Amino acid sequence: MEQYLGIMLSVLGAALAAGWAGAGSAIGVGIAGESGAGVMTEDPGKFGLVLLLQALPGTQGIYGLMTAFLVLLKVGLLGGSPLAVGIWQGLGICFACLPVAIAEYFSAIAQGKTSAACIQMIAKRPEETGKAVILPAMVETYAVLALLTSIILLNSIKL
Amino acid sequence: MAPAERYGYTVARLRAMGNRLLDESSYQRILDSEDLDAAMKVLGETAYAAWIADLKSNREFDKAIESELLYVYSELQKFVPDKRLVEICRIPYDFHNIKVLVKSHILQKEGHERRFDLLTKLGNIPTDDLVMAVESEDYRLLPYGLHVVLPKSVALWEQAKNILEVEKELDDQQYLMIRKMGSDCAIPSILAWTRAKIDAENVRNAVRLRRIGVDASSAESFFHDGGYISKESLVALLSEPLEGWTKLVGFTDCGILIGELKELGDMNHVLVEMERVLDDYITKVLSKAKYGAFSEDNIIQYLWAKEMEAKNVRILLVSVANGTNREMVRGLLRRVQ
Repeated sequence: MEQYLGIMLSVLGAALAAGWAGAGSAIGVGIAGESGAGVMTEDPGKFGLVLLLQALPGTQGIYGLMTAFLVLLKVGLLGGSPLAVGIWQGLGICFACLPVAIAEYFSAIAQGKTSAACIQMIAKRPEETGKAVILPAMVETYAVLALLTSIILLNSIKL
Repeated sequence: MAPAERYGYTVARLRAMGNRLLDESSYQRILDSEDLDAAMKVLGETAYAAWIADLKSNREFDKAIESELLYVYSELQKFVPDKRLVEICRIPYDFHNIKVLVKSHILQKEGHERRFDLLTKLGNIPTDDLVMAVESEDYRLLPYGLHVVLPKSVALWEQAKNILEVEKELDDQQYLMIRKMGSDCAIPSILAWTRAKIDAENVRNAVRLRRIGVDASSAESFFHDGGYISKESLVALLSEPLEGWTKLVGFTDCGILIGELKELGDMNHVLVEMERVLDDYITKVLSKAKYGAFSEDNIIQYLWAKEMEAKNVRILLVSVANGTNREMVRGLLRRVQ
């Protein structure tokens, strides 16, 4: 029972990381997409620029998925032979996933809003595309920091 | 989607639409045209091209301007989440139509011809419905309180035969509706815009009243409630020389702009200049919208910019057609954004 509970807590952590980060990305990409659709209704020629900015909040979902993979690899669920994971170890893995779950969710939404605003900016000033990409990329910093924290925490838990 | 972001599509589309607003160089090219035909040719290279093709003669340019505005209003009505924001901008056209119909009604009773050609399609209420209501004197279904104000205005005319009183009654209702709809939206920036609009109208009225020599004691009823400037201050303007107006209303943004009026000459000149200053004041109030990526006031700001563009085009074409001094015309052009 104890052995299974440890594994289940690890799976919960992986699910939270992938789930929340993915949900955040979906909302962020959706917000940016709405703005993109608005611009493209009037100026379809801006598709390339809009797509680039709309894709930016999607990275958080990838970070969540990556974290989930790391957890599943760590507890051996991907290889087909699960390791013995204690309750405290499982709980540790679950907590290690929280930085990704929380930060990716909120940063993806924030990045979506920034991307949407930058899409509006390139609608007016297409020559400022470089700056328009940098602004949402600043939000990405905190998503990467959360990913690093989760990776470090996961590596610090010995099975 | 959270309410804050529901304007993402709308604002982005408006930003893209904003690129098609005429710029300074287009105005300059129209102004530099030799005659109206040349000016219309320049206008034909802009968003107005679609409507110019339908004109029988270039002298009908007003129809092209109205068609472009109508297209913009109809298009926005389709994709703006809160339709009231477009509706509130069209209210003045409804009241314009009502005034035309009331005056036509009066003219008809006096044996003159009715002027339905002055009606505009830009209002919220279809012109046919308005004509039907006035012709049949059945006002029950008219919105914006017109079911009460319209028969009252007609009765006022019949009692006092004073068109100024009728206009006042209708204007009061118009600004009451704008204020009410602005409050119903419960958006601070929209509320600020309605208050600024009321201030602008009140100051415009003060100049008009002064021009026709209305006594300060009977002027209060010509001003509307709800602006930043109190009615008392507005009444005080009438007994103050124009140069001293900034002292009385300088505490508002509107008052500061009045202070920037240069070379106050005769009242006709002041009225023309004041119209431009007050339009620019509203443009300034709305210009803050550009900082909000998801804010609703972008809709009002775009519609106002389009109205100002239409006004500029009308000024330019009339001036080119009449050969007015170009330098003077340049001074009349409104700021668009």
